[in-house]
Amino acid sequence: MTIRVATMGLTVVVGMLLVIQGGCSKKSIQSGGDAQSSERGMAKSGGPAPSAMGSMGSTGSTGGGGYDAPSATFPDLSLSSKPQDEPESGSLRGFDSVSGGKAPSEERLGGGGTMLAKVEPSESTARQIEDIRREQAKEQAASAEAGLRDVFFGYDSWTITEEGRQSLMQDAQWIKGNSGALVKIEGHCDERGTLAYNLVLGEKRAKAVRNYLVELGVGANRLAVVSYGKERPFCNERSESCYQQNRRGHVVVRSK
Amino acid sequence: MNRIIVGLMLVVCVVVGAGLIGILDSRATDVFLEATRPDFQKIPIGVFGFQNGGGPEWLGGRIEEVLKADLQRSLVFSLVDLPGIGVKVREVSTADKAVFKQAAENGVSVLVWGKSGPRNGSGDSELSMDGFVYDSGSDEVVGGKRYVGSTSVVRLMAHRFADELVFRYTGEAGIARTKIVYVAEHGNARELFVMDYDGYEPKQITADGFLNLMPRWSPDRRFIVFTAYRSRNTQDIDILELATGKRWTLVSMAGLNITPALSPDGNFLAFASSQDGNSEIYKLDTRTKASHRLTVNQGGDLSPTWSPTGREMAFTSDRGGAPQVFVMGADGSNVRRLTYEGDYNAAPAWSPRGNWIAYVCRTAQRLYKLCIVSPDGQKRLQVTTGSGIDDSPSWSPDGRHLTFSSTVDGKSHIYMVDTDGKNLERITFGGTHNSSPSWSPAL
Repeated sequence: MTIRVATMGLTVVVGMLLVIQGGCSKKSIQSGGDAQSSERGMAKSGGPAPSAMGSMGSTGSTGGGGYDAPSATFPDLSLSSKPQDEPESGSLRGFDSVSGGKAPSEERLGGGGTMLAKVEPSESTARQIEDIRREQAKEQAASAEAGLRDVFFGYDSWTITEEGRQSLMQDAQWIKGNSGALVKIEGHCDERGTLAYNLVLGEKRAKAVRNYLVELGVGANRLAVVSYGKERPFCNERSESCYQQNRRGHVVVRSK
Repeated sequence: MNRIIVGLMLVVCVVVGAGLIGILDSRATDVFLEATRPDFQKIPIGVFGFQNGGGPEWLGGRIEEVLKADLQRSLVFSLVDLPGIGVKVREVSTADKAVFKQAAENGVSVLVWGKSGPRNGSGDSELSMDGFVYDSGSDEVVGGKRYVGSTSVVRLMAHRFADELVFRYTGEAGIARTKIVYVAEHGNARELFVMDYDGYEPKQITADGFLNLMPRWSPDRRFIVFTAYRSRNTQDIDILELATGKRWTLVSMAGLNITPALSPDGNFLAFASSQDGNSEIYKLDTRTKASHRLTVNQGGDLSPTWSPTGREMAFTSDRGGAPQVFVMGADGSNVRRLTYEGDYNAAPAWSPRGNWIAYVCRTAQRLYKLCIVSPDGQKRLQVTTGSGIDDSPSWSPDGRHLTFSSTVDGKSHIYMVDTDGKNLERITFGGTHNSSPSWSPAL
C-alpha cells in the first residue's frame, strides 16, 4: 500500500517536472524568434554565449557497426511545436494608413530575421583544433616512416590500376610486419563533380583499396576507411596534374 | 431548327463561360503562375530615395540601395529610372501630387520614398526609417511604415520594407529577409556560416576545427541539419538550434552519414548512409527515432530532396554506372529515373513550388553546370553556362532563384541566378572557399 502511494507521488512529481520542463523549453523557443523588443535584444547580447561544442550530447561514437542511437533526446522538429500564441515576430504587419498626415506606428527591429547564437571559439574548441592538428602531424610522420604509398585513380574511377597494386603490395607487407599498427584509408577526389557524389566516390576508392589489401592478406579489422570527397585536397590548382594528385586513396598509420 | 441552334449557342456560351471562370479562378488563387509566365508584366516602381535627417552620412543612400536591390531581385517589380523619365527625385519628401502625376503619366505604378535619421533628433543613437507608398491605381498615398532600431538593423529595415511591398502586390512572402547557410573555409577547417540572402552579415555557427558539410534548414528556420566529422574518422548527422547554439546528434551509423534533408513537416529526416556497404537512402522519424532504409540496390544512392508535399523524393543514384537523378515515393516505392541526357546528373533540389527539380548536369564539354527538369521529365533546361564548376543548387523559397557554388571566378564562391539563367550575381567575396549554400524558407 505504502509502495503504491509512493509510486503515485513519484508519478505526480515527474509529471510536474515534465510540465515545468515543457514550459521552459517553450520560453526558450520564443526568445529564439526574431528579437523585436528591446528586452529580447538585451537578453541576447547579455546572456551567456553558448559554445558550439559545449552542449554536444553524446561523444566518442565510433560508428562501429549497427545503428547506435545518438543523442538521448531529439529536439521537437514538428512545425506544430512552433509557438502559436505569439505569431513569429518576423511576420509582416502591413502598411499603416497615413491619411491626414498621420505617422505610421513604430515597429522595432532587432536581431536579423533569425536570431543566431554567437559562436565564440572557446578554449575547448581551440584545444580540439590543436588536438586535430597534432594527431594529423603524428599520423603523417608515422606513415612517412613506414614508407606507406598512396594509390591514384582515373577520372570518375575507383578501379585500382596496376601501379596502384604495386604500391599496395608494398603497403601490405609493412602492415603485416607491424601487427600492432592500425591503418586508415582516406578516399579523396578532385574538385570536379558534386560535393555529395564525391563523398560516395571517395568512399568507393577507399573501400577498393581496403578490399585489395584484404585480398593481400591484411586483416580487415585493422583497416578503417573514411571519405573526404573533394573537401581535403592535396593540391589546389586547376590542372590535370593537380587533379591526379587529388584522386587518391591515402594510406596512413592511425594514431589511435 | 431555330430551337436547336439557340440550344447549341447556349451550350457553347455555358462551356466558354465555365472556361473563363476557370481561368479567372486559377489567376485568383495562384499569383505565382502569373509572375513566372513569360508574358508577366512586372510592376513598374519608382524609388525617390530616403532623405537623411541628421543620421550617419551613408544612411539614406544605404536604405535606398538595399531596397532597390531587393525590389529588383523580387522579380515582381521593375525599377523605373525616375530621372530618366524627367522626374526630379530629390524633391519629394512629402506627398507631392504634381510629381506623382508626372510619374504616373510615364507609366510608373508604384512610388516609394521616405526619410531616415536619429529617432529622437540628433544625438540619439537609435535610428528610424519612415517609408511611404503611393499607388497610381488609387491615386493616393496608400500607406507607410516606420522602423526603429540600432545601426546594425539598417539593412533589415530596407529588407522588411521590400517584403511588405512584395506581399502587398502579390500576396506572397518576399525573400528579402531570407538567409543562406553555407560552408566556409576557416583556418584549415570547414565551418558553417549563416548570411543574409544578399551575402551580407555572415555569422559563424560552428567552430569544430575540422569538417562540417552540407547544411540544410529545418522548415521552420530554427534548426540546421548537417554532416559533421565528429572525429577525423567518423561522420555524424547533427542538428543545431540557431537561437541557442545547442546541438544534437541525429544519426551516427557506420560509414558515410551524408546529405541530410528534413521533410516539409519537419517530422522525418531523409539522409544517405553506407552502413550496409554502399550508400543507401534512409528515413528517420524524428519523433520515434525509428529509421527505415528506402533504397535497395548495389549502386550508391544519396542526396534525397523532398517534394513540397512530402509525398515524393528525388535523389542521386549511380545504379546504372554513372550518377543520375531518380524520383521515388517517400516510402521508397515507385522508383523511376528522371534524367537521361548526359552521363553525370546529381545533387537534385526540388523547387518549393514543386514545378522544377534543379540539379548539377555534366555537359557534352564535361562542364558541371546547373540544369532544371520538370518532375515528369518532360521539360529540361540548362540554367548556367561558362567554365566554372557549379555545385549544390538550392532554391529560393519563392521558387524564382537558385543559389549555388561555382569556381567560375577561381576559388569556390556562392552565387545566385534566376531559373532562366538571367541575373547571375556573386554573393560571397571574402575568404578562400565558400560552398554548399542552402536557402532558408521564407518568414
